[in-house]
Amino acid sequence: MMSIRPDEIQGLKQAEGFLSLRGLTRRYGNFNAVDDLNLDVAKGELVAFLGPSGCGKTTSLRMIAGLAPSTSGHIVVDGHDITGVPPYRRDMGLVFQSYALFPHMDVARNIAFGLEMRKVGKAEAQERVREAIALVRLSGKEQHRPAQLSGGQQQRVALARALVVRPSILLLDEPLSNLDAKLREEMRNEIRDIQKRLGITAIFVTHDQMEALTICDKVAVMNHGRLEQLGTPLDIYEHPSTAFVAGFVGRINRLAGTASGGLAEVAGVQVAAPGFDGRVEVMVRPHRVSLSAYAPPAGDDRYALAGTVARATFAGDILEYEVEAGGVLMKSEAATRGGEGVLAPGTPVILSWHRRDTFVYAAS
Amino acid sequence: MDERPISPVLKAAAGLMFLFLLAPLIIVIPISLSGDTYMAFPPSSWSLRWYGAIFSDTRMTAAFSVSLILALVVTALSLLIGLPAAYALVRLRPLGAEVLGSLFTAPLLLPTIVLGLAILLVFAPLGLLGTFQGLVAAHLIVTLPYAIRVLSTALATLPIPVEEAAATLGAPPLTVFFRVTLPMMRSGMVSTAALCFLVSFDEVVLSLFMTGPRLSTLPVAMYRHVEQQADPLVAAISVLLVVLTLAVVIVVDRTAGLAKTFVR
Ligand SMILES: Nc1ncnc2c1ncn2[C@@H]1O[C@H](COP(=O)(O)OP(=O)(O)OP(=O)(O)O)[C@@H](O)[C@H]1O
Ligand SMILES: [Mg+2]
Repeated sequence: MMSIRPDEIQGLKQAEGFLSLRGLTRRYGNFNAVDDLNLDVAKGELVAFLGPSGCGKTTSLRMIAGLAPSTSGHIVVDGHDITGVPPYRRDMGLVFQSYALFPHMDVARNIAFGLEMRKVGKAEAQERVREAIALVRLSGKEQHRPAQLSGGQQQRVALARALVVRPSILLLDEPLSNLDAKLREEMRNEIRDIQKRLGITAIFVTHDQMEALTICDKVAVMNHGRLEQLGTPLDIYEHPSTAFVAGFVGRINRLAGTASGGLAEVAGVQVAAPGFDGRVEVMVRPHRVSLSAYAPPAGDDRYALAGTVARATFAGDILEYEVEAGGVLMKSEAATRGGEGVLAPGTPVILSWHRRDTFVYAAS
Repeated sequence: MDERPISPVLKAAAGLMFLFLLAPLIIVIPISLSGDTYMAFPPSSWSLRWYGAIFSDTRMTAAFSVSLILALVVTALSLLIGLPAAYALVRLRPLGAEVLGSLFTAPLLLPTIVLGLAILLVFAPLGLLGTFQGLVAAHLIVTLPYAIRVLSTALATLPIPVEEAAATLGAPPLTVFFRVTLPMMRSGMVSTAALCFLVSFDEVVLSLFMTGPRLSTLPVAMYRHVEQQADPLVAAISVLLVVLTLAVVIVVDRTAGLAKTFVR
């Protein structure tokens, strides 16, 4: 099911955002790396591009930055079509997936390069470079060449180099992929802060859902070069508009079934499926499936299913059960609370979940 | 690099190889220190008189100046022409870039004597024989293929995203070239310069066709000298040339790394 929301229809007619992509397409031979991308990013907004490897995230950023030509479509910034404008006149910062530092310059000169190009005065430039270096926690490494830095340090230099010029649009291609968990969280909050403080419009490419959901205003989920859904993190998570989005963001149980007359039959349960006919996929997230010894009281807006525990996985903070029910395996997980045991395989249980947590899509 | 034990057989083979390569030096150095008036090995007496003789032989000192200035001019021109050519071939990729690339290296495949004859036939009517400009043009024909090859390789191995990063930071194409591309090609430039300098300085065959009674390069002057007299003068010059070559190689090694420069 591809839901089209009113704002998307409007967006197709005119450029709404500060940065707007209109039918942006990149074809290699007869393969569409980016396929008819339409997107509006408001001023000061941080949008995540989330999608599997090879779905066209980098290609999209390169077109926005002006480094790669588009096969068709337009890029509009602040009402001006900049599709043919060369990269050095776009005032965009790009953090490359491969860092792309200048190997013959030390850290300070790498970071100062953009300021020099913008003819920023010497004293101010020095001050801003110093700030940027402190921001990415590289004080003391000013005189190091890129070759003398670790991968994560190089990545931070790349980040500082793009941030220091305060571009009107910042494009980040997996800027934190090489950092450890702690530094990564610190850096993503720093990026968020500075982006909000300076009102920079930013696109943040990532594989990491947590990153996308926690710091971004909107998430654009891409697959096979196409935009699957654009929405707030809450939207994407609670109302995934396609089966792909539901399956890609967060974990999910997928159940195959058949729908007719507004109801879908899956694993012996009747699920509301208005407007569907034929084969469908019904999905529900494991932590929204609760597990109990008794059926939920009648009249509750929950679907229920009897089964037996097939496997229990204790992971410290969560406890996951795989339950065999109605001929399928379903996962249920919950935060551990202490004082409870782990059910043995074979224990009969009742699975139940709320109607609103149930997603139905036509099977592809 | 991993240190692996080297077999004694390989060591012996390598030793023999070195001996073979160094054999000329082993003969030439003693002869250059000869006190005799003719070349003989081993010399019957020792002296430095032939080193002194180089500097009082005006033909030789003049030829040395010609060779030095010629090599410097040829090197500069090779870089000046080779760099844009390599850039066009590698980056702008015009139609038939492959064919053009092969065409530019073709002079290296022709026997030099054939090339010399061809140059003679073309240059004679133009009045270029026996002129400095003629020598420069002739040497460029053999140095340019090297320059284009080495510079093309250097360019082709540069990471393009680094240049793209400079562009997104606001650097227009020419600035990107001078601030990023060129500095990253430094070792390629140094090795090209060294190669062109040595090829030009050593060149004999083409120079033989191009030099005249009043203009001679050092190798040609030495050749003519040996034809007429068999004194140890040329041995002394040879030793100085070896020292000069070593100096060039050391400079290259210091600035660009020898292994990186010549071993690809
Ligand atoms: N020069 C090219 N020629 C042909 N196909 C290309 C070229 N560049 C990219 N592609 C293809 O375009 C698709 C999108 O590539 P892109 O680099 O945008 O992916 P991505 O979403 O950034 O992936 P990742 O997360 O792995 O970085 C890929 O399938 C890739 O194979
Ligand atoms: Mg990518």
